Amino acid sequence: MDFVAYNEILICRKPIRNYVVAGVTVGYEFQIKYPSYRGCYLSCIEDLFFEMDGERLDAVNTFFGLNDKQFTLEELPELFREYWYVNKPATIRVMLPGGIAKGEHTLRVYMKHRVPYTGYFGSYLTLESDRTETLVAE
Amino acid sequence: MNQNIKIGVSLYSLSTQFIHEELDLEGCLKAVHEMGYKGVEIVAAQMVPDYPFPSDEWLFSFRGLLEKYDLEPVCWSAYIDMGTRTDRDLTEAEIIQCTVNDLIYAKKAGFPMVRTQHAISPAIFRKMIPFCKELDMKLTIEMHWPHHPDVPVWKEYFEIMKGEGKGYLGFVPDFSIFQYMPHALYLRQAEEFGCRKEALDRIVELHAQGGDLVALESGDFTPIEKHYAEEMFGKFNHPARIEQFRDLIDCIFYIHGKFYYLDNDEHDPCIPYEELIPKFAEYGYKGYIASEFEGHHFYSDVDCTEQLAHYVALNKGILEKL
Repeated sequence: MDFVAYNEILICRKPIRNYVVAGVTVGYEFQIKYPSYRGCYLSCIEDLFFEMDGERLDAVNTFFGLNDKQFTLEELPELFREYWYVNKPATIRVMLPGGIAKGEHTLRVYMKHRVPYTGYFGSYLTLESDRTETLVAE
Repeated sequence: MNQNIKIGVSLYSLSTQFIHEELDLEGCLKAVHEMGYKGVEIVAAQMVPDYPFPSDEWLFSFRGLLEKYDLEPVCWSAYIDMGTRTDRDLTEAEIIQCTVNDLIYAKKAGFPMVRTQHAISPAIFRKMIPFCKELDMKLTIEMHWPHHPDVPVWKEYFEIMKGEGKGYLGFVPDFSIFQYMPHALYLRQAEEFGCRKEALDRIVELHAQGGDLVALESGDFTPIEKHYAEEMFGKFNHPARIEQFRDLIDCIFYIHGKFYYLDNDEHDPCIPYEELIPKFAEYGYKGYIASEFEGHHFYSDVDCTEQLAHYVALNKGILEKL
């Protein structure tokens, strides 16, 4: 299968950081990259969800930050003018009172995405990138 | 030694190092310079920051980097991302906008040619002629697997290239269209995904004999093995015929020398270079063949530098005999 090796870059191997507002920890953040050899428009993302330590994160409380903007997960398929450069990480902010405990955590990222130039005979190739990594929360 | 054909490189060959951030764009340029390359291609959607709206400042600085490493800009590769939107394909206005922009960016960065894709449509391809003439730019369509010269739309493209677009509009055969056997990384992956080695050997044998689906159905194969067999038979059993390019040679401005994995300097077991290069030379092709390593789709542990060295040696060996 083509494209498979690019899934290795999906989860950035950087620490998870708690998100602190005026001394109050209100959530945490981690980063992901677009799992391809090239950049793409966010509208090509057909599905995206996350699991932290086996628990699926609530999409409503999970924000997608890129290009100095922030989006909801549900609006990604509409963002046909928002380009995701392949080496620019997106910051995923999870709103969780108290943040995340220090130490190791297991993050799973699942992304279903369309390769927008593959419609040679009509239909587009759709890829499933599914990665799990152990990250450290600081 | 044939002097008309030169071996260049697509920076795309260094995808693994680039996306793992081991090499930035300048690092890639320095690396290919050190490998001895002169002509380069950039995949804009991959390596141009702020794409699809790079600044003039960036484009001019990129041009400076090419000069710094004594590299010749050959091809600016663009896409027609028809499936960008979820609800519909791109419109004519959107295709024209991105194509015109790529021609402008390429011109500013010093490239004489843009590679686009089949989905541009004959009508829009034709509409690009005045713009190409005005900017003195070539616009080419990549002929990539699963397309081949017999796909109906290409007949229309060839007419335009030979007619009103002559000298400005052309195409880029990608050697994926000539692939007739699965490559080593494909087979390695098939094993890792659960195919048994002996079953895979038998499937490759069946494929080499023409892809007998009845033998496949009646054989001792698991569902994943059958999946790989069907994919293999479908993908590699209908390579394009080299003779089809004899009368198209004036429309070929550039070639993508696709390869996936070479374990020596002599032979690619999947794409018939020993046949292709002499034929393209005989037909009168003049220009670059880009080294286009694509094994990075499958594994990140393959040494791209070593692969490119094998590729250059393979092609030089063939060209020296011509």
